[in-house]
Amino acid sequence: MNMIDIENVSFAYSGKVEALKNVSLCVRKGEWVTILGHNGSGKSTLAKLIVGLLKPQTGTIRVDGVELSERTVYDIRKKVGIVFQNPDNQFVGVTVRDDIAFGLENLQIPREEMVERIERYAKRVDMYSYLNKEPQALSGGQKQRVAIAGILAMRTEAIIFDEATSMLDPDGRKRILSYMRKLRDEGVTVVTITHDMREAVQSDRIVVLKDGEVLKADKSENVLKDKETLEQSNLELLLPLEVLHGLEKKKSTNEELKEFLWQLSLNG
Amino acid sequence: MNRIVIGRYIPGNSFLYRMDPRTKLIAMILLMVGVFLIQSFLHMFVALALVTLILVFGRLSVKRVYLGLRPLVFLLMFTFLFQVLFNRQGELLYSLALHYTILNLSLAFMVVLLWGFTKRFIRFRLLYFLGAVVGIFALLHSISFGVVLGEGTFAVYEQGLSTAFFIMVRLIIIITLSTILTITTKPTDLNLGLESILRPLRVLRINAEEIAMIIAISLRYIPTLLEEANKIMLAQASRGVDFQEGKLKDKVIQVVSLLVPMFIISFQRSDDLANAMEARSFVPGQERTRLHILRWSKLDTVALACTSLALAGVVLLRVVGW
Ligand SMILES: Nc1ncnc2c1ncn2[C@@H]1O[C@H](COP(=O)(O)OP(=O)(O)OP(=O)(O)O)[C@@H](O)[C@H]1O
Ligand SMILES: [Mg+2]
Repeated sequence: MNMIDIENVSFAYSGKVEALKNVSLCVRKGEWVTILGHNGSGKSTLAKLIVGLLKPQTGTIRVDGVELSERTVYDIRKKVGIVFQNPDNQFVGVTVRDDIAFGLENLQIPREEMVERIERYAKRVDMYSYLNKEPQALSGGQKQRVAIAGILAMRTEAIIFDEATSMLDPDGRKRILSYMRKLRDEGVTVVTITHDMREAVQSDRIVVLKDGEVLKADKSENVLKDKETLEQSNLELLLPLEVLHGLEKKKSTNEELKEFLWQLSLNG
Repeated sequence: MNRIVIGRYIPGNSFLYRMDPRTKLIAMILLMVGVFLIQSFLHMFVALALVTLILVFGRLSVKRVYLGLRPLVFLLMFTFLFQVLFNRQGELLYSLALHYTILNLSLAFMVVLLWGFTKRFIRFRLLYFLGAVVGIFALLHSISFGVVLGEGTFAVYEQGLSTAFFIMVRLIIIITLSTILTITTKPTDLNLGLESILRPLRVLRINAEEIAMIIAISLRYIPTLLEEANKIMLAQASRGVDFQEGKLKDKVIQVVSLLVPMFIISFQRSDDLANAMEARSFVPGQERTRLHILRWSKLDTVALACTSLALAGVVLLRVVGW
């Protein structure tokens, strides 16, 4: 069973900029899929289409078997949550507690349960001791964790992370990656959008977007090794894989290998 | 920044903190109406004393609240002087002959210049300002020789003085009352109270919940916007833009160079925020449950009864004409 089905979807902003061209892809239930692509390749546009923040000009989007339309969009948003890139621009509440509550209030969750969920998910992202803090008192990473708690508390079946780690330091990034792993283990469908290869490594499948088109969709392993595809879409191989490629091209002597590694690190 | 008390919540514990925000809002409105109805000096002083008593029993620092009025001192002084100088009704209380001669006008001009150049080195600026004003009047009064350009009088009339007094005390009381409200009420609660009070406006097709949401989000983003403005100013300063000095034209350019990025960032931000809210199942006008609920207690009934009585008393005094 597929959680998200996208069929021949095209979208253009204000009728001019073609952000997505005839995109088809699917995300199975409980799967962790990475959507990989350079800046402006249409990743965020795709994410907004899935939760009905934008309407495709052509094609259909189905979530859990239900076709997205004006009538079904509210039900679909109860199934798919989304964490955006900028932690400052998604903090709605005056305090951490209020912010986590926001989605629950919209879902009309009874108050007692709301209190219980807020505490549980604040603990889950290690923000329990910050519940009464205002956003100004939090770091970017902490705000992003609050945003995640807000989505987790809504108990959606799928969560999309749209470059949710790109404004964080390595520590904050690792933390959020660990939440993603845990979610997958719990059977939540996870879609991460990124241009960071290290984030893509852990997912089950990778969809590579280039200029609004799907360049490749395959098991992570296969995509990560595919130097040609990645280079075509301005993405870099992971360093170890680059070394591996070098080795495969018979740079076998020690001296040659050293020289090759040195060149690699110079090219950053 | 930390000195500004107006509009800020300061955690604490007293009956004022325990009161329902609805009570505080309604009580504040009732008391403000009362203050506008008062017409005698004595009653005004009693009102001021009562407000101070609320501060004392509410365990709020009187000093802190009144010092918090400092940013408004110039506004208060201006209204006071305006009334005293231009309201010429009632009995003449005091008059001072003024002579406008070339000598004393130029001396007065020099006092103004001196004040302008030295005020930044003086600690008690307000006193210094008052001193300069008194000095100028003294000059205009005492020097009458040389080329006389004209004569005039500085006159204080009874009505001018009393109107000035009433306006000033009223302003002080109103600002103090609203400061009490914001110091003792969390923004969330204040907003909830406002929403609940505005709810009857639904008959007029005004959506209280939406208004409350707008206020809450504005409150939420004011500090962020200030932070942003600060960042932009720092960035511009590092590129050599000086926000302190410069001619008018430069100033205009500086302000524009601050406003343009601010606007662009704000548009992006509101777009993102709207997306984030919608994605979290927010639908304007749709029923929502609430994390915070307001609880009416005996204290609220008592407080509301007291303020209603106070207002009734003032109305009675006015009707009887004391
Ligand atoms: N609101 C908009 N109006 C017009 N064009 C837009 C808008 N948002 C995005 N675009 C354009 O659509 C294309 C795809 O943008 P999108 O934001 O989906 O890319 P992305 O892959 O998320 O990029 P990034 O990695 O920078 O987030 C880009 O060419 C972009 O300039
Ligand atoms: Mg994007």
